[in-house]
Amino acid sequence: MNKIKINTLSKNFFTLRRGKVNALNDINLEIECGSFFVLLGPSGCGKSTLLNIIAGIEQQSTGEIYFNERLIASPSKKVFLSPKERDVAMVFQSYALYPHMTVFENIAFPLKISKLNKDEIKRKVEEASDILELKGLLEAKPKELSGGQRQRVALGRAIVRNPSVLLLDEPLSNLDAMLRINMRSELKSLQRRLNITTIYVTHDQTEALSLGDKIAVIKDGEIQQVGKPDQIYDNPQNLFVAKFLGSPPINIFEEKVFENIPTKAELINNRKNFLVGIRPEQIKFAEKDKGLFNAKVKMTSSLGSEKVIHLFTANSKFIAKVSTDLNISEGKDVGISFEKDKVFFFEKESSKRIST
Amino acid sequence: MKEERIKKLLLFFSAAFLMLFCIIPFLWMIVVSFSKNPDFLSEQVSYFFTLNNYSEIFTSNAVHLIAYLKNSIIISGLAAFFTTIIASLSAYSITRLKFPGRIIIPVFLLGVSMFPQISLIGYLFKILTNLNWINTYYALLFPYITLSLPLALWILLSHFSRLSKELDNAALIDGAGRFKILQKIILPVSLPGLFSAFILSFIFSFNEFLFALMFTIDYKARTIPVGIALFEGLHGQIPWGYIMAASVIAVIPIIIIIALFQKYIMQGLTEGAIKG
Repeated sequence: MNKIKINTLSKNFFTLRRGKVNALNDINLEIECGSFFVLLGPSGCGKSTLLNIIAGIEQQSTGEIYFNERLIASPSKKVFLSPKERDVAMVFQSYALYPHMTVFENIAFPLKISKLNKDEIKRKVEEASDILELKGLLEAKPKELSGGQRQRVALGRAIVRNPSVLLLDEPLSNLDAMLRINMRSELKSLQRRLNITTIYVTHDQTEALSLGDKIAVIKDGEIQQVGKPDQIYDNPQNLFVAKFLGSPPINIFEEKVFENIPTKAELINNRKNFLVGIRPEQIKFAEKDKGLFNAKVKMTSSLGSEKVIHLFTANSKFIAKVSTDLNISEGKDVGISFEKDKVFFFEKESSKRIST
Repeated sequence: MKEERIKKLLLFFSAAFLMLFCIIPFLWMIVVSFSKNPDFLSEQVSYFFTLNNYSEIFTSNAVHLIAYLKNSIIISGLAAFFTTIIASLSAYSITRLKFPGRIIIPVFLLGVSMFPQISLIGYLFKILTNLNWINTYYALLFPYITLSLPLALWILLSHFSRLSKELDNAALIDGAGRFKILQKIILPVSLPGLFSAFILSFIFSFNEFLFALMFTIDYKARTIPVGIALFEGLHGQIPWGYIMAASVIAVIPIIIIIALFQKYIMQGLTEGAIKG
């Protein structure tokens, strides 16, 4: 079990097509012992690069990584420990199982490399396959397995040697929807049971919110915000974080939508050049002319337990999420309101959150 | 429906034509090798079956067929073996390690392989003479390795580059070093590629004529293509029966290898071409 500390880390490289690329910029992170930490961001944001750097597959350009108090990698001090010396294990998006080996051999591979004796290897592999319910599959080759089973073999190979850090690179994204939700909870309970410091990379915000003890949201190689899931959801620091989390996504209004709303002055403390963000579930319905402003219902669609309502006004479109018992028919004019303290304001230029 | 049938017929006939085109000379070779009067330039049509040609080339002391065959198999086998090892090491480093110029090397090697053999032969002869290697296995082994290396390297490059790098990374994380990764993961996984590289370079060396003609003197190192070409008949005749019988014998090792590894070769040749 390890605490991980990352200091002013950056990574840039040179490609012929794109020139100098800043993959990561001034990353500072502290990941507590035994916690489940999620790196969340859109594809190409650098989250996988960061994971590879922590794993020791890639080397950062500047900055330092510590496991507990031990320096793991620092270009300026010429320190670079191999993945083996770092004692990390990793599960890849493609699972990267060795296709010519059986499940048993796959899980046993890291133990064989570290030259454990046969009995010990057998005991440990059986232990891991017990935990992951792979008992009957030990003699199968990877190509005979289903996606979920491959996933579990990859996990087995990672946990079999009790690593101090477990790194997961979008491990669920190749599974179908049902299986993904099952594996999500299995993964979380496995992590709790083994109590391994875990870093999980994903672009799926629901995965991040449901799995993470803490989440770091990354965009264009920079950390946007770090915090607990509800902190990040309820208190986004900028427009990107607000937009990236939540489904359906947050509604963003131009300031002119609010021009004729009597409460405008009160809402924005007379600021200029701002955007207003309201989560779909915060939008409340009233009779026409009874809300802050009026809108027309364009379409309603059911999510089963909830209902999504698409609305429009003269100069904006937005979405509301309500419970299914609320009866709203398409084409109807309704009044819209929301609680003032549930509304976010962002500067238009910098997209930073304006604290209210 | 009609169009389908025409398509099928066309496919059948073109396949049949191609197959006959390739196989008729081969059949002709077999027919002549069993013929008592094997002068196929004369107009006589009589054909007498005999095994004489075969028994003659195996028993006659002057022919050395067994020695040629042995030389060929040993030289081609060793050349193919070393070529495949060198090519797999270099293909691995070119596809996996980051060093300057790694894109240039395969292109450069391809350029080298485009040199006409004849242009090298004078210098090579000088070098081999100075090394005292003329009429030894070395005289053919080293040039053959050099010449078949580009082909093997390109085959393996296409194989290795299609293997996911996550496989390497997974093995790195599991604690394996670069050499272990090559040995335990990459080579076993790309077995079809290794087979096709091995067999194509074997065939190249087995069939090579020019160097074998120039750098060998007698049965100590002479390979079978040269041996067959230099068969002498009585009174300036060309001994077609012997030549064809020896050619049939020469084809056998290659047929055996290909029959044994056919599954892998097909996989190896086609996998490189079409992205799975």
